Amino acid sequence: MIKIQNVNKYFYKGESREVHALRDINLEIKKGEFSLFNGPSGCGKTTLLNAIGALDSVDSGEIYLGETEITGLNEDARTSLRLNEMGFVFQAYNLVPVLNVEENIGFIMKLRGFSDSEIKARVQEVASFLEIDTKLKSLPNTLSGGQQQRVAVARAVAAKPKIILADEPTANLDSKNSLKLMDMMRSLNEKEDISIVFASHDELVIDNVRRVIKLKDGALVED
Amino acid sequence: MFKLILKLAWNNAFLRLSRTLLVIIMIAVSMSMLLAIQGLFDGMAYNMSDKMLRSDSGEISIYHKDYRLNKIIANHVTDAKTIKAKLEQDSEVQAVVTRFSVDGLSATARKSSFANIIGINLEDEEKFGQFSDFLKKGTLDFKKRGALIGGELAKTLKVKVGSKLVFSTQDKNGDINSIALRIRGILRTANVKLDTSAIFIDAVRLDKFLGIDKNIATQIAIRTQSSTLQDKLKKDYPNLSVKNFLEINPMMQMMEDSMVIFNSMIFVIVMFVVFIGILGVMYVSILDRIREFGIMRGIGMKYSHIRLQIILEALFVGLMGYLVGALFGFSGLYYLENVGLDLSAYADAMESFGYETILYAEIKLSYFTNTFYAIFTASLLSVFLPLRKIKKMHPIDVIKADT
Ligand SMILES: Nc1ncnc2c1ncn2[C@@H]1O[C@H](COP(=O)(O)OP(=O)(O)OP(=O)(O)O)[C@@H](O)[C@H]1O
Ligand SMILES: [Mg+2]
Repeated sequence: MIKIQNVNKYFYKGESREVHALRDINLEIKKGEFSLFNGPSGCGKTTLLNAIGALDSVDSGEIYLGETEITGLNEDARTSLRLNEMGFVFQAYNLVPVLNVEENIGFIMKLRGFSDSEIKARVQEVASFLEIDTKLKSLPNTLSGGQQQRVAVARAVAAKPKIILADEPTANLDSKNSLKLMDMMRSLNEKEDISIVFASHDELVIDNVRRVIKLKDGALVED
Repeated sequence: MFKLILKLAWNNAFLRLSRTLLVIIMIAVSMSMLLAIQGLFDGMAYNMSDKMLRSDSGEISIYHKDYRLNKIIANHVTDAKTIKAKLEQDSEVQAVVTRFSVDGLSATARKSSFANIIGINLEDEEKFGQFSDFLKKGTLDFKKRGALIGGELAKTLKVKVGSKLVFSTQDKNGDINSIALRIRGILRTANVKLDTSAIFIDAVRLDKFLGIDKNIATQIAIRTQSSTLQDKLKKDYPNLSVKNFLEINPMMQMMEDSMVIFNSMIFVIVMFVVFIGILGVMYVSILDRIREFGIMRGIGMKYSHIRLQIILEALFVGLMGYLVGALFGFSGLYYLENVGLDLSAYADAMESFGYETILYAEIKLSYFTNTFYAIFTASLLSVFLPLRKIKKMHPIDVIKADT
């Protein structure tokens, strides 16, 4: 489903402090996968995830989502691709503070134009699956970190994206909450058949995924 | 979708309540001050022209063709009383007076001054412009050589109620004649010309003194609401000069014009303050939330939706300021309209310029509609700079920041 071909990415290209963040990456991620980009800090996990998520451009090579070449799209097309095909979970603080849990979960569906009744039903479904259905009317800042991160996952999953990209989703959580989050995300992956790709150096994440893709200094070293 | 954006805008506008309230109060205070100043200026101008109307020209005055250039007895309207009687039949005419006015010299035992004696009928003048309103001291009484005198002239001549005074002028034959008068009342009309030189006496007495026909007058003044009456009268009396209020008092036109300029200047300054206020609060608020906007962009929210949210937010702040300002402003104006602003401490200076010692404000709907448009526009303009910040931001940079 995602095909990455000869991708290179530089920061500060041409300057003395140039960083070769991604080196000749070739990779395929299939539908329904539950995988992880792993490696030491600075090896390029986030950079690769952002490139797949159409959040960032690359300097050479191509990334395909199905038939679409992401790397050739303009900003508007990438925005709409992110909205319609992808789900994101970031490290922390990625809920809208002035909206309650229910509205946060339904946010992307709303942007995509689902009807209110569809949104309500779907929000109820994912919220009860992620065990946050008792908090639907609460504001994000009244929730624990683990609950907030599950709301973020619920928001990403609610609109049924093709793929969810999660960058260090457990970094701000304790091990109990991390484990719970990973369990739930794996069940979602199985139940809804959504591909999920993590970028993380958390042992707990490594133990729970089915595929580990190791990076070092921007290059793929182990799959 | 729009409902969601509306909700985002509304909640965010009041998220940092004290900051938003500060701007709302700032807008409200400057707006109500603006309204009060405008109201007082308009009230002042209205008051002044109202008194000029009532004490002298009315909406329309009729003179002999040459009278306004050369104010001599010979330049009078011959059949003034007949014209008056005819005008009184006209449904468009609310009140008419005839006056006979002649320049001369007024003197007491020690002082003398140029003066202008005017023969009037007190009853007619009361109907014409509430003449009794102008009386500041004494009584309105023409009996036993009684005369009323303008306040400034009284000062120049150092006369009080009860003082004696001699007025001398040429009669219709060109002979110098004098008349002895006793001051019964002192007037303040806000009409500088009258206050500094007028002496009012009974019309009948003046006619006799000057030896003139009682049917003639130097001025026929008319009160009317009709805008077409002047043209009609011009046709009816082609040999006379028919002038309207602004033609007779060109100063009032100038004053009105300069009020408009002055008011617009204050208006622009206040709106600039509003603009800066909203700009400041929006800018800071957006910098505060730059990560939030980064995430919204990141998960696929369109820039145009974020822009709409920011615009609505600024409008909420601006319009709340407007509502509070309109409320304050209206209460202030209502107070100034009914109780007034007491400036009696500066009474002398004010009165010699023709102003009242207590200023009363006007309330016009246009004050509120104009400030509405202005605040609306200022709010819209204020988001340009903050929006550029969002447009230029790159989601990954702000998402990464301070995680
Ligand atoms: N916006 C940027 N500007 C310049 N250099 C960058 C930028 N983002 C990443 N880099 C560099 O690219 C390299 C890869 O960074 P990346 O964030 O992908 O690492 P990572 O594997 O996610 O690390 P971590 O585990 O610490 O999150 C690093 O050397 C980093 O310094
Ligand atoms: Mg990273």
